[in-house]
Amino acid sequence: MSPKPKDSGLSATRRLGDPRTADVRVDGDGTPVEIDGQPVAHIRESWLIEDRWWTDQPLRRRYWELVSQSGRDIVVFRDLLGGSWSRHR
Amino acid sequence: MPSWTWRSLPADIGALRLGVGRVADLRPSIVRTCVRMIVCVLLPRFELAVAAGGLQSLVGRAVAIAPDGSAPAGRAGIGEVSGAAQALGLRPGMALGEALTRCPELELVAGDPIAVTAAWERALQALEGIGAAVESQRPGLACFEAAGLRGLYGGSEELVIGAARRALGTPARLGGAPTRFCALAAALTTRPRRTTIVREAARDHLRNLPVSMLRSRSSTAPLVQMLERLGIATLGELAAMPRAALTDRFGAAGAEAHRLASGEDDPPTPRRPVELLAESLELHESASGPALEHALGILIDRLLARPERRGRTLRGATLTARLVDAHGRGTGGGSWRVPITFRESTADPQRIRLALIPRLTLLPAPALALGLAADRLGPPEGNQQALLPEAIELRRDRLHEAVRQARVAAGPNAALRVVGVDTASRIPERRMMLAPFES
Repeated sequence: MSPKPKDSGLSATRRLGDPRTADVRVDGDGTPVEIDGQPVAHIRESWLIEDRWWTDQPLRRRYWELVSQSGRDIVVFRDLLGGSWSRHR
Repeated sequence: MPSWTWRSLPADIGALRLGVGRVADLRPSIVRTCVRMIVCVLLPRFELAVAAGGLQSLVGRAVAIAPDGSAPAGRAGIGEVSGAAQALGLRPGMALGEALTRCPELELVAGDPIAVTAAWERALQALEGIGAAVESQRPGLACFEAAGLRGLYGGSEELVIGAARRALGTPARLGGAPTRFCALAAALTTRPRRTTIVREAARDHLRNLPVSMLRSRSSTAPLVQMLERLGIATLGELAAMPRAALTDRFGAAGAEAHRLASGEDDPPTPRRPVELLAESLELHESASGPALEHALGILIDRLLARPERRGRTLRGATLTARLVDAHGRGTGGGSWRVPITFRESTADPQRIRLALIPRLTLLPAPALALGLAADRLGPPEGNQQALLPEAIELRRDRLHEAVRQARVAAGPNAALRVVGVDTASRIPERRMMLAPFES
């Protein structure tokens, strides 16, 4: 690989914290109780997002900010349109 | 920026002699605006012409510079292409596979960066020989300001350009215009051996030119395709748009594109005089591996022993090699060139050796000759750190240099920063972005 720098275009700019797929287990109410094998110790907050409803790609998500038993802060959401689960950190 | 000059200087001097209190008399009766005139020198297909042995050898042949082997397999792009190849739809950067599909009779020549650098240096020195303060944008493309040379060559831009053409001694396209971008446009649209001088405002001249002209700048080249898709075909249409809207949509590149289309541009930045310290070693047999490392050690010792160095350290070096061809012959294999910036200025042969030896593994073929040149010289050895805290400007300069070195070593994305976009957003991925670090 040559050390010659590549042309700087617009590619360097990108979002941080893009969501990635998560394996989530929920209780009867649909509240997460385990994220990627980590049991949830505490739910800090939950909120609903409805955005871009005026476009062809609306966004409907139910978010939870959780603390795992290992003490880690985790933000997960369920895509209310597709039903999939994702996490931010 | 235009500058104002007094046209009738003797009258002013006469007015000055009238004494104090006659300030109004100091104003000359006529003032005029001096319009900046930038001359662009374009040697088309310079790298290809050097590698192929002259422009004449390209006539009627579909020729391109072969990929340099540094790109991953399947994504290797060809270099400059001849006119015949261009007519068949080939363009620089096209994937080799696609180029060969479009033009099965395409001839590939090995790039020769050593010869290109030497030939371009000769051309620049020829231009500097007429007194021009030359900015080199890339091999084959340079510009300089004509203002200071008018008096030397008869008072007109045409005579200045004529002097430049005679100094070059090779077919070149020359154009003159108020800005660098417009001068390049003039040079691109002029016929070989002819000259185009733009007397009108740059914006007016650029109005009907296609937005593909923006490909000449690396900062605006990525926008061309997007602008064409949006139906913006000419620079005039681009200039008619609000700059704020372009900035909002495309960022700094959009603002830059609008500036260029509006006839605004930065003045040329002439290159600084450099001391060329270079050493080379002919290898009796094509060499690779430990033999090359040994040769490199000799070159480092020779370079550091040069009296012109006067104890100064090296900030960067360029490693070059002349290569054997695919049949093991010593001709036609092209050459190889790689610049290296050291983490800090040094004159320690061991550290230089450690920095350079890994680059030898990048050689695409055994070498017949190895060369080493000092690109820039740093402060003398023994330069100590300051006892007292340094000024903010010094620290900023160091940070800037560190970012530059990181980008040279690892590409433009090596230094990024986190920018808060909408930090209070309830959608986490909208809060932060990674953006290029501007030191």
